Amino acid sequence: MLDFAPTEEQEEIRKLAQSIALDHLRPHARKAEAERDSSTELRLTLAQTGLTTPFPEEYGGSGPLEAVTYTLIAEELAYGDPGLALNIIGSLMGPLTVWLAGSREQQERYLPPFGDPTSGYLQRGSLAFAERSGSYTLADVHLQARRTGEGYLLNGTKRDVVHGQRADLRVVLARLAESESAEGQLCAFVLHGVQEGLSIQDEEEKLGLQAAPSATYHFHQAQLPAEALLGEAGSSGAVRAATLYQILRAAIACGTARAAFEYCSAYARERIAFGRPIVSYQGIAFIIAEMAMKLDAARLLTWRAACSWDRGEADETLIYEAESAQHQAVKMAQAATTDAIQVMGGAGFMQDHPAEMWMRDAAAME
Amino acid sequence: MIDFTLSKAQQAARDYAHQVALEEMRPISLECDRTEEIPESFFWNMQRRYWGGAAAQARAYGQDEGVRQENLLSVISQEEMAWGDAALATAIPGPGLAAPPILSQGTPEQQARFLSIYMDGQLHWGALALTEPGIGSDVAGMSTTAVLDGDEWVINGHKHYITNGARADLIVTFATIDKRLGREGIRPFVVPKGTPGLIVGRIEKKMGLRASQTAELIFDNCRIPKENLLAGRGEKKAGFKAAMGTLDATRPMVGSLAVGIARAAYEAACEWLREELPAGYPPQKRRAWEEELKELGQEIEMARFLVWRAAWMADRRIPNSKEASMSKAYAGALVMKATATAVRITAPGEESERKLLIQKWFRDAKVFDIFEGTAQIQRLVIARRLFPTIDIP
Repeated sequence: MLDFAPTEEQEEIRKLAQSIALDHLRPHARKAEAERDSSTELRLTLAQTGLTTPFPEEYGGSGPLEAVTYTLIAEELAYGDPGLALNIIGSLMGPLTVWLAGSREQQERYLPPFGDPTSGYLQRGSLAFAERSGSYTLADVHLQARRTGEGYLLNGTKRDVVHGQRADLRVVLARLAESESAEGQLCAFVLHGVQEGLSIQDEEEKLGLQAAPSATYHFHQAQLPAEALLGEAGSSGAVRAATLYQILRAAIACGTARAAFEYCSAYARERIAFGRPIVSYQGIAFIIAEMAMKLDAARLLTWRAACSWDRGEADETLIYEAESAQHQAVKMAQAATTDAIQVMGGAGFMQDHPAEMWMRDAAAME
Repeated sequence: MIDFTLSKAQQAARDYAHQVALEEMRPISLECDRTEEIPESFFWNMQRRYWGGAAAQARAYGQDEGVRQENLLSVISQEEMAWGDAALATAIPGPGLAAPPILSQGTPEQQARFLSIYMDGQLHWGALALTEPGIGSDVAGMSTTAVLDGDEWVINGHKHYITNGARADLIVTFATIDKRLGREGIRPFVVPKGTPGLIVGRIEKKMGLRASQTAELIFDNCRIPKENLLAGRGEKKAGFKAAMGTLDATRPMVGSLAVGIARAAYEAACEWLREELPAGYPPQKRRAWEEELKELGQEIEMARFLVWRAAWMADRRIPNSKEASMSKAYAGALVMKATATAVRITAPGEESERKLLIQKWFRDAKVFDIFEGTAQIQRLVIARRLFPTIDIP
């Protein structure tokens, strides 16, 4: 039955995430941008909340992830800072993909380090999704995997891999093709024990989202062992992981837009021009009204995809809904952050305010 | 819990309305638009279906589910009906726009007295008279007056753009009891059809929604019983609140009509591209159109969700002015874009019924950016709710 209210429990988790975002993310956003990473203290703080270990308790996690709940969390984190939110979620996608796509044996091997109560927060995961086009749509995943006698041979490029350079657990999305010409099934591989054929390049100068360090992978006849394939070829684990990433990226976009919307609203309420707060002019008020409306629209689209993910809808439905949400939310966030600067005028352009950073962050999302 | 799946009652309401749209509306849509008339058989068919099996089943499921969902059921079915024909949807017998003010501002006795008229199985309509030649959104500037004379209210004034105004059995008419009070002097009155002094003026010729009747009403010393004032609970702003409360309930419905038309146009353009695109058409142009339609499909979904959310809030009695305006503003702009896109994409095609329907929807769409508050008024409502402490004139 149609319902648009989070449960009480979800509301509590959302509030917790919001307080973390306001107390620990927003104040450190500029520092994280300059240092191109989160601090160890922040990661420890987050680990203590249990928000960063949403996988089964038997592996030391705080309980399996629900997409709707985590969508609420992701929006709050991005409301604190989009770059740090992506830093956190990008890392999380490594163990989550193992949980969603891996065999029991693979889960037992790769998940416990992330759930370790004393050192888990130092672990970094990563999921390589985007390729040359930079887009996070599955139709643009072409990295080729071919079966050989001993395992798999990978050829192609991945970019924008959050934590790609320093991850303890690297997972990549690829197409397992039976022949050279066919576009194969979506699969996830763990890059473990890759001896040669893989070069990793730091992406140093980015337009935005610098707080989420990323790398490019080049595969040239890279040989992977047979156990590198997570789960079985053709199972929907890889699709569930990929669509989850898309849904959470949509939530990050919503959080970014909300940060910009609230920030410029507060500014427009205080700023006086011609004797009145500028928000009392329809020319400004309508821009902000439009922002609020389009943010709500994109958020609802994101929630719908998350609901379908939790219900375990068919792959085709999930892909359509997750990609729609991501596309619309990112587009909306780009417009909202740009308009926020416009509302603030010259001040919006200055680094004294975070609006210019959010506009660059939103532009870097797709 | 956040949930985007329809309950049994919601599915039944959708399926029932879709069947009506397909069987009763689409077949007569173009003809009614051309003649600006609706055959009497349509009204009787709608009446029969409303009391018939499928609709009764939907209502029964609704009872079982034990939550208030009249607004949600209404927007879900309105979308389907507008997919059939939005003009015909506005002409379905029933209290229509007269219902919300009677329900929100009428005493139980008044509700029973006025709404029972609609339960006798005959054809009855209702209407809401708010707009005047001199005022639209600025209801506080109303010039229609009501003066108490003994046991009767005497109404004088001029209303126009009244949907179903000429056929309505009851017209909820807003008038001021004292112009000096501004919007606080506004009250809703129930004026029955045939009251001496109630004169039906001209029936408008319109760009779209041509089969929908839009009437002018003149009140010339029109006397109604004292008991026909919907007095609310004696609050000072009761009348103004009734007018505004009506809009909070009807804006999502107007939004859902817009979504229905947008979806019809979107589907027709997709079908045309699949079935009728002339051979040898440049493939890159086709791909560009497919991209555009994909985008449109997603925007239609967002508009629908905004509408559903606003209606859901109304059912839960959560104040929803802002969300109601968002749904109406978003859907109103979207239906314009969707129908214009469909006209443009199908332009190279031969004349066909599909193309004529698309052209009709294009003409129908524009008013959704206007009635129940223009796009600008919706933004004003949203902004005022976002900044309650700031005076945004």
